[in-house]
Amino acid sequence: MNAIVDCNSFYCSCERAFRPDLWNKPVVVLSNNDGCIVSRSDEARKLGVAMAIPYFQARPIIDKQGISVFSSNYHLYGDMSWRVMETLRTLMGNASKVEVYSVDEAFMDLGHIPAHELEDYSRHIKQTVEQWTGISVSIGVAPTKTLAKLANRLAKKNKQQSGCIKLLTTEDELRTALQQTRVDDLWDVGRAYAVKLINWGITSAWELSNMPEEWAHTNMGGIVGVRLIRELRGLPSIGMEEELVDKKMIATTRMFGRPVTDVHEVKEAVATYISRAAEKLRRQHSAAGTVSVFIVSKEQDHLTDFRRGATISNYATLPRATSLTHELIKAAVGLVDGLFEQGKEYKKAGVMLSSLVPDASIQGNLFSSHAAGEHRNLMHAIDNINFSMRDDSVKFGSSGMNKHWKMRQELRSPRFSTRWEDLKEVK
Amino acid sequence: MELEQFFGMTYKGSKRFTQHEIPTANATGFGAAADDYMERGIDLNEQLVRNKPATFFMRVSGDAMTGAGIFHGDVVIVDRSIKATSGKVIIATLNGEMLIRRFEKTINKIRLVPETPRLSAIDVDLSGSEFSIWGVVTYVIHSL
Repeated sequence: MNAIVDCNSFYCSCERAFRPDLWNKPVVVLSNNDGCIVSRSDEARKLGVAMAIPYFQARPIIDKQGISVFSSNYHLYGDMSWRVMETLRTLMGNASKVEVYSVDEAFMDLGHIPAHELEDYSRHIKQTVEQWTGISVSIGVAPTKTLAKLANRLAKKNKQQSGCIKLLTTEDELRTALQQTRVDDLWDVGRAYAVKLINWGITSAWELSNMPEEWAHTNMGGIVGVRLIRELRGLPSIGMEEELVDKKMIATTRMFGRPVTDVHEVKEAVATYISRAAEKLRRQHSAAGTVSVFIVSKEQDHLTDFRRGATISNYATLPRATSLTHELIKAAVGLVDGLFEQGKEYKKAGVMLSSLVPDASIQGNLFSSHAAGEHRNLMHAIDNINFSMRDDSVKFGSSGMNKHWKMRQELRSPRFSTRWEDLKEVK
Repeated sequence: MELEQFFGMTYKGSKRFTQHEIPTANATGFGAAADDYMERGIDLNEQLVRNKPATFFMRVSGDAMTGAGIFHGDVVIVDRSIKATSGKVIIATLNGEMLIRRFEKTINKIRLVPETPRLSAIDVDLSGSEFSIWGVVTYVIHSL
């Protein structure tokens, strides 16, 4: 059996864990730059706050109902996520049976639990996670990952009745669940495929599961479609993924806090993002051979902040792969000049490091000096200082001192669980 | 108590160590024998944090627990995985507030008892108030 453990309104739950005054009260969390609503508590949902809508659009109802609003506090969510996952790994006693699927979801391999104990075991997992971390979770249990996802969706749909746990183990339970689920609510079925399926008259997951495999192969993207059909029929076809393989590329992208018109500010932002990406690069002991930069301008006729503007990008191939921040910054900032147009307003920039190779394997070429070793020690020192002191205590001058372009996070809560100076006060 | 033992049972320590973190004397001559006696040293995380995913730090504001050696500005270590039994110092939530008090539980009554003469004990009215136990205080860090 497979289980998925999914945190309920995860970001809101993290915020509320340290705020008992907000328990059972409506709460929403905003995306980067306070743009859209990315998490809402059940209470906020019941008041009619829609998901993923722009903040300003939800503003009237938020103000009228006195809903608490938070900017994203990724330090807090990252730490709470680790706590939830670590609790699951501890309970399972075997880290390889827990696959962290996203910040707030994990698959678990429950193959070793006897069928008659699954319900108690699920309840035990739920209670322990809540007791240890303060985060409430929903659990779906079924023969395959796709069905576990489906079970979880049903558990969340009617929390009162399900107690946030739904098991689909018998044939009857599975059939009913598949009949109740529309194809566009299935995990792994993209919007384009869902529209296609519905046009063909296949609306429920049950109907889809009865289609022949050959049909899925022809009409649903080959092996991916076959896998989906098999998963729906209860034949495990998606295995547990290995945890965190080294990334093939590393990207850092952020919205600006306000429109930027000055090329120097764009360069500062790009240098800052490169510093962050290079840090991640060194953490996995890689070096990058290619640096890409993109910037996004505001549309001339824009009405709203969130409309997509034109993206322009360019990349540079480095003479040799590097993990040194200053070499990467030099290449990236050089690209900005070719992209930036005077007189335009920019709202977003991003960088990407790719063509990654293992750092240890970099053979110095004939033209590289032995100063490279010293540079590497310098990077090591900078990473250590920034890791222990936080907030980019040491940074390159090109990333700027004032950072007027920095992300808006006006309503961020303290970093209760990761910072000594932000600890929750108790009376 | 059984619950406490149960939670402790599966947990395998608070920190992962790797071999190279253990220092060596790095002596080339005679002194190399000292390498045989090198230890990892004391790690406060390991000593004070029994169950890392369930452990939080909080700052005390006020004088409610001075009699227990917990003063204004101190940092307390709170373990959510330990069961709150009568007599333990806990973090309680009461009507939206977080309080540090000694937990007193009898058959039909819960009391939150401060350790200062300046405050009185709170009788928790379980039907008329929102009460829960947030975690159990395991250590206090006090700066001298």
